[in-house]
Amino acid sequence: MTAFVLALVVGALFALGTFLLLRRDLIRVVWGLAIVSQAANVYLLAMGGIVEGGFETVPVLAGHGEGAPQTADPLVQALVLTAIVIGFGMTAFALVLSYRVYEEHDTLDASELGDRG
Amino acid sequence: MIAQTSAETVVIAPMLVALVSAVAALLAGRRRRVRSVVALGGVVGYAVAVGALAWTVVLAPDAPGIATYQVGGLAAPFGITLVADALSAFMLSMVATIALASIVFSRRYAAHSGSRTFYYPLCYFLLLGVTGSFLTGDLFNLFVWFEVMLMASYVFVAYYGGPQHTRAAFWYVALNLLASAVFLLGVGGIYAVTGTLNMADLARRLADPAAYGIDPVPVVGLFALLLSVFAIKAGLVPFQFWIPTAYRAAPPPITALLVGATKKVGIYAIVRLSFTVLAGAQIGVSLELPIPGLGVAGDSPLAFVGAALFVMAAASILVGGLGAVGRDSIEGVLAYSSIGQIGFIAIPVAIAATTTSSGLRQVAIVAALVYALNHTLAKGLLFLAVGAVRSATGTSRLAELGGLAGRSPPLAIAFFVGSLALVGIPPLSGFFGKFLVFDAAARAGSAPVLGLLLGGSLLTIAYATRVWNRSFWGARTPAVDEATVDPVQVAVVLALAGAILAVGVGFEPVYRFAELAAEAALDAEGYVEAVDPGGELE
Repeated sequence: MTAFVLALVVGALFALGTFLLLRRDLIRVVWGLAIVSQAANVYLLAMGGIVEGGFETVPVLAGHGEGAPQTADPLVQALVLTAIVIGFGMTAFALVLSYRVYEEHDTLDASELGDRG
Repeated sequence: MIAQTSAETVVIAPMLVALVSAVAALLAGRRRRVRSVVALGGVVGYAVAVGALAWTVVLAPDAPGIATYQVGGLAAPFGITLVADALSAFMLSMVATIALASIVFSRRYAAHSGSRTFYYPLCYFLLLGVTGSFLTGDLFNLFVWFEVMLMASYVFVAYYGGPQHTRAAFWYVALNLLASAVFLLGVGGIYAVTGTLNMADLARRLADPAAYGIDPVPVVGLFALLLSVFAIKAGLVPFQFWIPTAYRAAPPPITALLVGATKKVGIYAIVRLSFTVLAGAQIGVSLELPIPGLGVAGDSPLAFVGAALFVMAAASILVGGLGAVGRDSIEGVLAYSSIGQIGFIAIPVAIAATTTSSGLRQVAIVAALVYALNHTLAKGLLFLAVGAVRSATGTSRLAELGGLAGRSPPLAIAFFVGSLALVGIPPLSGFFGKFLVFDAAARAGSAPVLGLLLGGSLLTIAYATRVWNRSFWGARTPAVDEATVDPVQVAVVLALAGAILAVGVGFEPVYRFAELAAEAALDAEGYVEAVDPGGELE
């Protein structure tokens, strides 16, 4: 069930991200990029597999009530953490850059930017 | 804890020097003298560190040929492994040469008002990312170093902050962010399929999938994702479109660094992952390509890599060559030219991937490496020369230039040497690059490839001649008449011209180094043994 939901979420996020990427408005493009990289993160998490948790895999929960929930592979959690940090920095930079583009061109419309300068 | 010996420490030395230089350059801030000292000291230290690595690991008489460093003392495959072998050492030496030239050259560009504090730190972060990419033995770590490298290059593309710079930077950032997501997809998929991201462990598992209980077939498709990401970094068609605008927008010394280092990271990653990691896998691939002489069906995923690479390389040579002929500024010509030249580097890699003969495979990789070295030196020189022309005349448009040869003969000589190296005239390094690539194609017995290479070479002659005639010969224009050429810049460009000549004249040791590098790239067993990713089978 979890796998099914994850697949659905990854698919929906990629679809939304791609849709936004193809917009003319640069801010939407940045949104699209942010969503695509989040989709990649969710995908990465899913790729590690979701397994029945136990107190060996989630020692922090030992002594806090009954049983541990399903858990994701700790290695991909570490990878995703790194990817989130990188993605955050990149998105911030892309937003600042789109503001600078606006300052220089007085527009955020990709088709008005042209490709020659 | 594993005790680290000095031979192991030397592996991480270039990265440490780059990182320390970046931080020191940040601390130097606006103090001009301190900044210059740090900038110069950093890159000299970097070159020394790379030299020490190349000598102790590869070139010394009793060198082990490969050395590893387990970051944090954690054993592979759990910790991140840094691996220095002849291939990494060759690429690093190449990058150190162009970095030295580019940073010494940068003195005047780094003084650009407003952003001068960040010029050198960014240079060193770029260098750090490139160095890390060459040394890492872990797929996810490769992603991280790619990002370090890219983050610095984003800022450089937007460096001048004008309308065309911000626009070029935005599309460059957007494209690479998307590429990063695709990279993650590839990495995640490979982890799900094989259960590891350590390259040595991957190579071992793919060579004997049954013993590890994995099904290696999806790796071919996942590798195709990675291949597209590396092709974006290298600028192969159809992923070349960002190159002309980005290269025009970045400061010329940085463009020299981008073309000499960042592009080569893409090529390196393709070579490393194809031949060291993927080569051992036995997966049947069957792909029809309507070109005789290149077999694309085989029992190795390399057959697919070779075919894909061949198509991209052929298109790159044509698009780059034809595009370069019609540009109206020197940078424009050079940017398109670098698309075409990457095609020349990728062709032998494709030949190496498609052939089944191990002898030809090695010859082809040597050809690719020598060509890459020549491209780094020659194109680096030419972009730096454009930088010199731009700071002297304020323009690089062909229409506004003319008669530069009379204005500054040393600059003209250097530019001439660089152009000849690009064309491939003996005794310059370019001759051997071209010769080896043609040799590999001839040995593969493929007439269409030879014809393509010949056509590409003719286009190179056409655009090199055109730039030379329009900017260095002819009547002097007003812009050239008022030009004052910076002596330091000319000295750097001349030194690179000297290096191109030296590599050509004393080619024997360079060839041996390239041969060792090619052997290292193909020696997957030696790589796995050196990294030693844990003993027992699961």
